[in-house]
Amino acid sequence: MNRLLVRSSLRHLARHPLLTSLSVLGIAIGIAVVVSIDLANESARRAFALSAQGVTGRATDHVVGGPTGLDESIYVALRRDLGVAAAAPVVEGYVTTPREPGRALRVLGIDPFVEAPFRSYVAPGVTTDLRTFLTQPGAALMSTPTATRLGLVPGASLPIAVEGVKKEVVLVGRLDLPGELAARALEDLIVTDVATAQELLDQRGRLSRVDLIFADSLEGAKLRERVALACAGRCDVTSAASRALATAQMTRAFHLNLSALSLLALVVGMFLIYNTVTFSVVQRRPLLGTLRALGVTRGEIFALVAREALLLALPAMALGMALGILLAQELVRLVTRTINDLYFVVNVRTLDIDPLALAKAAALGLAATLLAALPPAREATRVPPSLTLRRSTSETALADRAGRLALMGMALVAAAVWTLSASARGLLFAYIGLASLVLGASFTVPWGTRLFARLARPVMGRLFGMLGKMAARGIVASLTRTSIALAALTVAVATTVGVDVMVHSFRATVVEWLTASLQSDVFVQPPSLVSGRGDGTLLPSVIARIRATEGVLAVNSVRNRRVRTARGDVGLHVPVIGTGQPSLHRFRAPRGGDARRLLAEGDVVAVSEPYAFHHALEVGSMVELATDRGPESFRVVGIYADYASDEGGILMARPTYERHFDDRGISALGLVAKPGVDLAALRDRVRERAGDEQALVVRANRELLDASLAIFDRTFAVTDVLRLLSVGVAFIGILSALSALALERSREFAVLRAIGLTPRKLFRLVTLQTSLMGLFAGLFSLPLGLAISYILVFIINRRSFGWTLELTLSPGVAIKALVVSLLAAVLAGIYPAFKMSRAGPAIALREE
Amino acid sequence: MTVVVSLRAVTKSYREGETERRVLSRIDASFAAGEFIVLLGKSGSGKSTLLHLVSGIDLASEGEVEIMGQRLGDLSEEARTLLRRDHLGFIFQAYNLVPTLTVEENVLLPLELRGEAGASGRDRVQVLLERIGLANRARSFPDLLSGGEQQRVAVARALVHRPALVLADEPTGNLDERTGADILDLLQGLGHEERRTVLVVTHDRDVVARADRVFTLEHGVLTEHAKGAPSKESRR
Repeated sequence: MNRLLVRSSLRHLARHPLLTSLSVLGIAIGIAVVVSIDLANESARRAFALSAQGVTGRATDHVVGGPTGLDESIYVALRRDLGVAAAAPVVEGYVTTPREPGRALRVLGIDPFVEAPFRSYVAPGVTTDLRTFLTQPGAALMSTPTATRLGLVPGASLPIAVEGVKKEVVLVGRLDLPGELAARALEDLIVTDVATAQELLDQRGRLSRVDLIFADSLEGAKLRERVALACAGRCDVTSAASRALATAQMTRAFHLNLSALSLLALVVGMFLIYNTVTFSVVQRRPLLGTLRALGVTRGEIFALVAREALLLALPAMALGMALGILLAQELVRLVTRTINDLYFVVNVRTLDIDPLALAKAAALGLAATLLAALPPAREATRVPPSLTLRRSTSETALADRAGRLALMGMALVAAAVWTLSASARGLLFAYIGLASLVLGASFTVPWGTRLFARLARPVMGRLFGMLGKMAARGIVASLTRTSIALAALTVAVATTVGVDVMVHSFRATVVEWLTASLQSDVFVQPPSLVSGRGDGTLLPSVIARIRATEGVLAVNSVRNRRVRTARGDVGLHVPVIGTGQPSLHRFRAPRGGDARRLLAEGDVVAVSEPYAFHHALEVGSMVELATDRGPESFRVVGIYADYASDEGGILMARPTYERHFDDRGISALGLVAKPGVDLAALRDRVRERAGDEQALVVRANRELLDASLAIFDRTFAVTDVLRLLSVGVAFIGILSALSALALERSREFAVLRAIGLTPRKLFRLVTLQTSLMGLFAGLFSLPLGLAISYILVFIINRRSFGWTLELTLSPGVAIKALVVSLLAAVLAGIYPAFKMSRAGPAIALREE
Repeated sequence: MTVVVSLRAVTKSYREGETERRVLSRIDASFAAGEFIVLLGKSGSGKSTLLHLVSGIDLASEGEVEIMGQRLGDLSEEARTLLRRDHLGFIFQAYNLVPTLTVEENVLLPLELRGEAGASGRDRVQVLLERIGLANRARSFPDLLSGGEQQRVAVARALVHRPALVLADEPTGNLDERTGADILDLLQGLGHEERRTVLVVTHDRDVVARADRVFTLEHGVLTEHAKGAPSKESRR
């Protein structure tokens, strides 16, 4: 490559330090957002995979039962009758400790005599004195880092709580494995003997599963078949990989949506790159013409411009990755919290800095830069070899092209509509449609800007005199600068509007659902590790005391369990309604059937909207559940709205449940107060009567509503961060565009100064112009934002989670959009306006 | 005598809506190596169009333009660009130096484009800088130079790669009389020394006196005059 041309490029960038650094910063933030979301997602996935690996070990398959697990006799039969040598019983569950509130520890109960092929770290002799391990009550093993963190030395005891019931384990030995990954797999793990775990987790005589190792051969397959046959409905054989995959799948849509949102900042960053490169091309048109006349080929000109973009991208990538890692430290906390709120228990202690994620983001940043630089680079190759200076060619060209661009934009919007309606389920198509809509809308911005500026001119003239007219005209005169900045701001604000409307609509729908569903006055349940599940068990003695509390008119109850199906585990909800109607929100059944009556009709269930959507179920479909009597089919009699989880749930009447399951437990109580009873006083009385036997969460209706909404709001905390960053990038875009304008129009402003315009008036002129740009962007962003919200609410949300939401619009959204874009534009305009107003007329005139 | 430029029945016309506007009409001329040629003409007479055709920036509607024996009409855009790179030098009215390159680098640029920026290329730049009297400003950027100095750099840049043809479009248009005369001295001196064909488009009457051949362009028709004889009107 031509060294002199490279040097010329470098000096060109160095001569405009503000513009160059703004561009670098803009791309860097875009990359940082992608990196941070990727790292946060990956860290959560990896933490989950590692902890799963820690407890699954080398098992190839599991024998699993119904929600209450397996009877111990199945394990005995496997070994004795079928002669399965590589089989290990497992009892598994989560506990908490007051030493580290808010963090879950996993209890893994094993039989040390058969463990060696599965989890070598707990084989006899490897870890501890076997007799102590088997005979001492509460004997447990932990990894050295976990024990140290919890302040435990061998022989010390650790207080724990299992569904609110206080218990204790004693550290009798340590588990240690070489290597960081292995050490992380053992993090937060308490290993006990099977009997100890059964006692701790209140699963006497039951096993969570039996781990198996089948050889990867014909014999292995035959043995697997024999085990499956022997299960005979009482249990089932599943492969270890598919089980882990099914759990990981639960968060797929959540991760995907975060990744999609993270791309937004990069897209806005692309406008910035486009703007900077276009500026450098427009500004150097005469120079490019001269170079062409001197014999520089089109290819060389293209390479020159592309290389400049690359020069911006390289430091931006380094900075973006560093910023991304910093940002990920915070995001991983938000992402993990949401996973724990909604899906499953996962502890992420360290941020995994995955080189692949960094490389991916770098490649994405590079591709985005080159893609954004492509049109101006092509434009540069079209500069004809010239012997004279031609300044305004490009402005005229864009003004001429604005109409054509708008038509192209409309075509893209039409393509978006087609893409969105062509497929009913594909999430990828939905995102392609959304991207096409946003791109199409941004193509109409130059045309819209020209139209709005023309309309605004007389109004501005009347309001602000000649300055007002000049401000409006100035926007069109520099359309290449202004329209790109406006497009970037429009996209950022429109997305803010879109996501805002979606979140508001979602929240309003959830509030309506909660209000309709929470028909009791006081709710009681044991603390749950996954906030959205509540599948603990209340002690019968506690239930009895609470029922007898003064002021209680009636008691509703619900049993929540995880049940296995052919399509993975699902939450099963079994309500018992003491008074009033069953609270199934928006229950859909043929001929408007009543939910309570329909559910009483034998082996039937109702399914939630997301569950029906994900598994393509309709009224009349059959659902097979792994009950304690083996797999049983249930007919779907209705579909109800439920926003508790995006995987969805199944609802069954209590008599049906008791016919198919041995469990008689109750997970939560809803107390209906007698008329006139003070709810706060009732709540306190319930707490008092429940006593210390089991830790309980007792909340009045309003408190539960607030707690549920707090989880809702936490879920969207990540999107708030991402949206803010996109607006930040757009702000940089405006600042960069206005700084470019300040450079380009220095002569024009110098003339104005020379003929008597004071610096103050010049400042006013520029500020008027930026305000007008902010107003335009705000107005452009409204229809686009509403379209985005429509797509998010009715298409992306539905295809991701299966929820039906109602679109809720408020005038506040429009006001917010206008205020955000006005504020961004005006703030971004202050420095360039100041700089322009300070420029001396003599200097600028001499430059020409 | 080597012919550098040959124009045969060259016509150039543009479409303006329904009508066709003819800017150059059946022009015939040939310029030999080492000639200093002056082209005079009013604004809008087609001078710039002729320069565009000769430099291969634009193509004739009819007829043939040959540079160093190569028919431009047969060459691709890329090939014409490379021909300019190898055989043409340009001097512009507005100097058009690359603002982000130093004086020395600006002069070196055509050699660099040809891959000849080695030691001998640098020596050649040094010689030319001394010849134009700006050796002491070699590291300065163009914006620190006066108009006359910038045009001297442009002359050196136009000649550094020893092109067969140097095209100068109003080279003294932005300069005062004295400085303009210096530039013409330089251009003529260097051109003759190195036997370059120099085609100058100008309004400047003083240039005519230096010319080996003088042409005028009026209503798209090119006429050659005996030295010192063009009409007063055509010199405007």
